[in-house]
Amino acid sequence: MNTSASHGFVNQLLVYTLVMIGFSGSIGLGAVWMRHQISITANVNRVLDARIAEVERHLAEATTAAETERDASVLLRRNAEWRLGLVPPSQTQIVHVGADPVLRLAAKRNRGLFGDGPATVSLPVAYQR
Amino acid sequence: MSKGFASSYRIVLLAAGVIACFGALGVRLVFLHVIDREDLIGSIERARRQIIPETARRGDILDARGNILATSRSLIVLGVDPQVLRKEDEAKWPELAQLIDMPYGQLARIFTTKTRRADSAAENEDASKLTIFSPTPAPDATQAANQKSDDTELDEAVDENGERAIRWAKLSESVTESTYAKIQALGIKGVYGNRVYRRAYPHKTLAAHVVGYVNKEGAAAAGIEAYADFYLRGRDGWREGERDGKGREVAQFRTREVPAADGYSVVLSIDAAVQHMVDEELDYIGQKFKPKKATIIVSDPQTGFILGLGNYPTFDLNSYNRVPRDQQAVMRNIAVADQYEPGSTFKIVAASAALNEGLVTPASRFDCSLTSIEYKGRVRGLPAEDHRFHEPLTVAQIISKSSNRGAAQLAMLMGEQKFYDYARAFGFGELSGFPVGGEIRGDLAPPEKWDGLTITRMPMGHAIAATPLQMHMAMSVVASGGLLLRPQVIRQVRDANGEVVYRYGTISKRRVITEQTARTMCQLLQSVTVEGTGKDAAILNYEVAGKTGTTQKIVDGRYSNRHHVASFVGFFPASRPQVAISVIVDDADASVAGGTAYGSSVAAPSFKHLGEQLIQYLDIKPVYSPATGGNLVMGGNRR
Repeated sequence: MNTSASHGFVNQLLVYTLVMIGFSGSIGLGAVWMRHQISITANVNRVLDARIAEVERHLAEATTAAETERDASVLLRRNAEWRLGLVPPSQTQIVHVGADPVLRLAAKRNRGLFGDGPATVSLPVAYQR
Repeated sequence: MSKGFASSYRIVLLAAGVIACFGALGVRLVFLHVIDREDLIGSIERARRQIIPETARRGDILDARGNILATSRSLIVLGVDPQVLRKEDEAKWPELAQLIDMPYGQLARIFTTKTRRADSAAENEDASKLTIFSPTPAPDATQAANQKSDDTELDEAVDENGERAIRWAKLSESVTESTYAKIQALGIKGVYGNRVYRRAYPHKTLAAHVVGYVNKEGAAAAGIEAYADFYLRGRDGWREGERDGKGREVAQFRTREVPAADGYSVVLSIDAAVQHMVDEELDYIGQKFKPKKATIIVSDPQTGFILGLGNYPTFDLNSYNRVPRDQQAVMRNIAVADQYEPGSTFKIVAASAALNEGLVTPASRFDCSLTSIEYKGRVRGLPAEDHRFHEPLTVAQIISKSSNRGAAQLAMLMGEQKFYDYARAFGFGELSGFPVGGEIRGDLAPPEKWDGLTITRMPMGHAIAATPLQMHMAMSVVASGGLLLRPQVIRQVRDANGEVVYRYGTISKRRVITEQTARTMCQLLQSVTVEGTGKDAAILNYEVAGKTGTTQKIVDGRYSNRHHVASFVGFFPASRPQVAISVIVDDADASVAGGTAYGSSVAAPSFKHLGEQLIQYLDIKPVYSPATGGNLVMGGNRR
């Protein structure tokens, strides 16, 4: 039996085994590190998702509160409470010219032409129907 | 070759040890992966697997200018697990009670109640099931059921006293995010909340009957909420993954994920400002006349889109479940779900039909002093008039002075079938297609079911029942140039990013009368507000066309002289209609001088007031007659 040859083989086997264990250990450690990084990234994403959802919830709450304050009845109440005195435009504030505005402007211009009063309109009026 | 350090004995021993270790490992692996596999996977699944649902956010309902009429906001349903409360947190209970606006005694009672009898819990579960299966539970019944069933979660195990441990008791179901942050800062162990999206209606009563509401179970129950639920509700998502020992999701082990798709937003044609004007006017009518009910409809007659629709009385959408059971009629959309005899406003059908058929001209005269007339070989009694007409009236005067006998004679000229066909063509007796509110058809009997007097009574708006919206759309036929349009309230559907997914357009159902007839009718109806019964609806410098109506209500099977429906239905400017308004007030007699609520005195002034506001808001310009040019000295480029 050639013991020296078998010892040499075993020695080599041990060395290679150790190298392989070291190599595969490194790969294993790398894989673990990678999985850890994946886990960290996934958790960061989860936290960010939760944060976005939280911001959206607060946004929805703020929007609802703002819209409630924009309600016409609330604005009218605030107008009274803060004595702003704001009023919606009403018909009585507006003077309607019943006649055709072209005729009215022409008549104003013509008053000056015929010497029955000072002309109040000096610009030529063009009216295209 | 080197002999090395290993002897044969050591090598064999080492090899045997390594093989034994690997063998043991292999056996263990076989046990783990083959023999005990199912049990182990089962226990792991139970302990670590979880499916987390993701609730989609329901879309908003917006008005025509982007104001939010209905939205979803996040609220926290706050509760407590009484089993894990700590003695040292008791000092914080008063502060918590203050934050959630609950009497301290009530809070302390919830905190100190640790168990509940098992049989009472079972009863509550039954009550809960009944509530869920009820299609539209009564609000107060829902409330009561919720008080019983949704407030607590009990442990499955029953102790020796027949009681089950309370694992969760509700403290409040509407805690805002900001308040919840303060509660969390208190750090009371066992107090925690679950986030839910709840519907909020920032404008409260505004367009309540159109917008509708979502009930506490999250089911769309009425209005646009129910009609457009398919678009609004979105699609819930879920994700499957694992959790760690503390119950937190381990994000990297998510295996499947279906993201939630938020609901679409629905844009209405309702304008919040117009709607507010409508609601204010209804409030005024309610205070001044104390009617049984009233409704106002404002629309664009050229497109059929509704700008405002309000009913009196109304309700707050945020507290729909607090409306008492005996007052739930306030939730009915009177404009489409109730019918009434339209009265004189219906005379537009007889006049339009006769003109359209070429049977009469506006100048054709009828003797309206007759009390009876021969028709198809039989003498028919004509209805009574409010005024005595000594001279024959033209068709124009029949409309402006609202002659019942004149309208009856116009219908007789056409005959029953023709008149009925026109009434159908104007949209009476059929659904208008308005999407919300539980619309009814009204009541228009076919000629074969008419008695001998129907041909004389129906033209004045008796013997027929219509919804306010049907009458409004019939008047809009005249305003739109002869087309019956479908009343619509949804303008657009938008996705979560605001992109328009679907746009609604004008839908014409049919042509009822010719454009020429419609123009003629506009002129005739304009005379109503100039020299007829609707003078109180006239707006300075604007051509207002419309028709008053005063209908006797049927009480105990007979027409009553003390109960009326007053109405004014019209539009302006008559030569280029931009807005159609209907004001219908039911039973305002008790608060009116003289005891009779006429359309001219109750509804017409409201039409005018509303019209004046709309002129400002919608920037409606008066329409002037074409210049004659006779006294125009200035030349220029005129045609």
